[in-house]
Amino acid sequence: MGVMSAVAPAERYRAISPAEFFYKYREIAGFSNPARALYQAVREFVENALDATDSHGILPNIKIIIEKADENREFYRVTVEDNGIGLPPHVVPEAFGRVLFSSKYILRQTRGMFGLGAKVAILYGQMTTGRPVEVITSQPNLRRIYYFKLRIDINKNEPIIIERGSWRKNRDWHGTIVSMTLEGDWSRAKQRIKDYILRTAVVTPYANIVFITPDGEIYYYERVIDKLPRPPKEVKPHPYGVDLELMKRIRDGGSFSTVKEMLMKSFQGIGKVTASSLLEIAGISPDLSPKSLSDRQLLELVNAMKNYKRFRAPTSEALSPLGEEVIKAGLKRIYEPEFVEAVTRKPSAYQGHPFIVEVGIAFGGKVPLSSDKYPTLLRYANKIPLLYDEGSDVSTAVIKEDISWDQYLVKLPAPIIVLVHICSTKIPFKGVGKESIADVKEIRNEIKLAIQEVARRLRLYLSKKLKEEEKKKRVVSLAKYVPEIVRALTIILGDGQGVKAELLEEKLVEIVSLRTGIPKDEVHKVVKSVEIGV
Amino acid sequence: MAISSVDKHARQRSLEILREKFATIAKRILEGKKPVLIMPKRVLSNTIYDMKKKLLLLGPEMKRRSLLDVNEARKFMQTLLMASIIYEALVNDEYPTIRDLYYRGKHTISYRDISGKIHHENTWDEQRESDAVIRDIEVFLGVLREEMLILSKEKGKVVGNLIIRSGDDVIDLSKMGHGAYAIEPTPDLIEFKDIDAEFVLVVEKDAVFQQLHRYGFWKKYKAILITSAGQPDRATRRFVRRLSEELKLPIYILTDADPYGWYIYSVFKIGSITLSYESERLATPNAKFIGVSMTDIFGEEEAAKNINKLASIFGKEIKEVISKPRKKAYLSEKERRNYIIKAKKKDVERAVELIGYDVADKLIRNPEIKKYIRQKKLGVSGYPWFRTPEWIKEISIFFSKLAKLEIEAMASKGLKFLADTYIPTKIETGDWID
Repeated sequence: MGVMSAVAPAERYRAISPAEFFYKYREIAGFSNPARALYQAVREFVENALDATDSHGILPNIKIIIEKADENREFYRVTVEDNGIGLPPHVVPEAFGRVLFSSKYILRQTRGMFGLGAKVAILYGQMTTGRPVEVITSQPNLRRIYYFKLRIDINKNEPIIIERGSWRKNRDWHGTIVSMTLEGDWSRAKQRIKDYILRTAVVTPYANIVFITPDGEIYYYERVIDKLPRPPKEVKPHPYGVDLELMKRIRDGGSFSTVKEMLMKSFQGIGKVTASSLLEIAGISPDLSPKSLSDRQLLELVNAMKNYKRFRAPTSEALSPLGEEVIKAGLKRIYEPEFVEAVTRKPSAYQGHPFIVEVGIAFGGKVPLSSDKYPTLLRYANKIPLLYDEGSDVSTAVIKEDISWDQYLVKLPAPIIVLVHICSTKIPFKGVGKESIADVKEIRNEIKLAIQEVARRLRLYLSKKLKEEEKKKRVVSLAKYVPEIVRALTIILGDGQGVKAELLEEKLVEIVSLRTGIPKDEVHKVVKSVEIGV
Repeated sequence: MAISSVDKHARQRSLEILREKFATIAKRILEGKKPVLIMPKRVLSNTIYDMKKKLLLLGPEMKRRSLLDVNEARKFMQTLLMASIIYEALVNDEYPTIRDLYYRGKHTISYRDISGKIHHENTWDEQRESDAVIRDIEVFLGVLREEMLILSKEKGKVVGNLIIRSGDDVIDLSKMGHGAYAIEPTPDLIEFKDIDAEFVLVVEKDAVFQQLHRYGFWKKYKAILITSAGQPDRATRRFVRRLSEELKLPIYILTDADPYGWYIYSVFKIGSITLSYESERLATPNAKFIGVSMTDIFGEEEAAKNINKLASIFGKEIKEVISKPRKKAYLSEKERRNYIIKAKKKDVERAVELIGYDVADKLIRNPEIKKYIRQKKLGVSGYPWFRTPEWIKEISIFFSKLAKLEIEAMASKGLKFLADTYIPTKIETGDWID
């Protein structure tokens, strides 16, 4: 469980504040140098902006502005505006000024997991520039717009409000505008940031995205579809994914009269019968109060749950796949391909975590030429583009090793892009960078099946196209002789004796067109291109 | 000009047929129908050996050459192009050679493919291609190239006591000095005026022809001496045929003792596969193969050794031809060692084409050659006109000895031997294959 692994170190380092801890170890969150920090800050705010919109059924309008904030120093002001659900004014200081405060401590698929990254960005900005963060927000049902200027007290892990205010809404606006300043390195970060926003745009065709760079460039990705991905639902944890820490939290946090009730109400897939048999296996009386359970007993229970074979597969309701329509629209919006197809696989699970694999393939049009080894790969985890460590990603392994592309009539290098999206309540990332996904057997297999399914449709398209080209080639190989034939016939029969060269040519074009099924004007084009003699 | 009226008539007739045939094509096109040229197939499978006439004839199979067939479109274009060039030559009273026609028609067609790329293609590349198209037009129109007044390079030569009229000139073929009269490409326009000869000797090799000519062979033996200088062209074949048919002279053919020599003989006698449509006019069914035969080299005993093997294929009847040795070899053991040449794989292959795989397989003793032939020619059935007892006997010796001999070798034994012993004896004793 991701939640636990993040909480555990915070508990171990209770002596220092979480804010201080994260500042010291900011590399973990991706703020190791000015270039990386700028990129990471943009990511964190954009992902929050998308979570605040599409997860709540709102078609996103997102605006990202990066501007130079100091003439002499490399300070950049990053502003991200969304039209999302906004924040209640009383939580704003906590949400932006206290590390490990988040609306996301729930089990459902979101982009950022803990709201941690945004706060590390704010911390980083504060430490490098000394400038505060500004937040403007309003919720749909509120009549006022709220404004905050905040700073984090690193030692106390507390927000310091520098300025606050509010004013009446005179239009129906809701959303959040976050604006912060940090030391960055635009020239080294710009390619990454542009890539990131482009790849985000690929999977958010339902969003209007505006991006203004410090160089004054404006990128505008216009909404092309009004359909949103299904928003994720909050669900209880599945027993397979349980561990001792989670068990303790449930024991301490709930008010259950019996341990049996605790099991039935805290997990998906546990009813009366299952609860009873689990407790029997663990050797615990069902009527005991949860509070009276020892850690050892809890461990017995965890083991019983892990070894129990008859649970239903975890529910996928917590997942929010993009959907085939969205993937296709997104690929079309960016690459205008001649062929695009996508598939969303049925939910599957690994180690108690539900996941869904989606694959899209775009071919031709403005799709750039791939390498000669494998198609260009766009990787996504929970709708977030993965830009780095492509070589060690499970999707890379699949398109390189599991799929033989010539079998699908793809002759590499080719203008082909394969998009792989994995959504899960727990993505098995490799390492702390969260840029590549581990080679998990169940996931690898699903990716393979998904690619094969879409690639089969691509093969069908390509073979049709090949046949069409063959047909056209055939027409060329016939039509190129028409002028010579007309010339010969008019010599023998005499142009004056009722045999007109133009008429013969017209008729021959007609015959060739009729017999090959290629339009007359195309046959004409070939005939007109012919020159006899040098 | 005496012949101009003949010419004019031929031109007129050819032009009419050309116009008529191609008007049909144009009509089809204007009616929106598929443009096709329907003509007899000029391939081995459509070449029939007429047992009665002893001629190779064109069979009844027709091919449809359609512009709409990707594999035939180029040929279709070439056929029309060639027809238009021939037409123009006929109209302008010209006498083009087949090489002229090749040059006149050779040009580049430039066109753009679907991607807009420009390609260049020659109407034809080699003369072989345009020559084949001329043959197609001959069968398509049913008109021979000579009748369309198309010439070819002169190849055949003749000397002897024969006076002819060619064009406006009367030529005495006994007064050619060391040279000879080159047989013109339109031998039908030659008129035979006077003749004093008893037979015709056709030799494959030009060098042997010259030696016999200088030796005075034709004077001494009252012969008409001809050479085809290798594979005979149409003019030489037609000329020989006219000597046989009109002057009733016996025709003897002298070639190398190898498969190519045998085939040259058969071209004179019954026709060729590529020109089977011409056989009725070109072939000389009375021509006789005088040598050099395998039995002349090795003697008839050598053939007798193969008798049982051959009987297992052809039955007992073959024994009658082979079992009675009538003559001795013309060469001694020592001479044989000096003159005969080892047959090459290519020679053996060619021989199998003539006589069939079964005979080769029975008679070849060399395991390497045997294996090679099995790989290359298994199932080849041979030409029916070679599967006669005499030829079986002849070629069986070739297979068992894997040796061949060029006529020059007979001359090196002594020109005198060739001219005064070998040829006269063969004729006198009737020692030939018919």
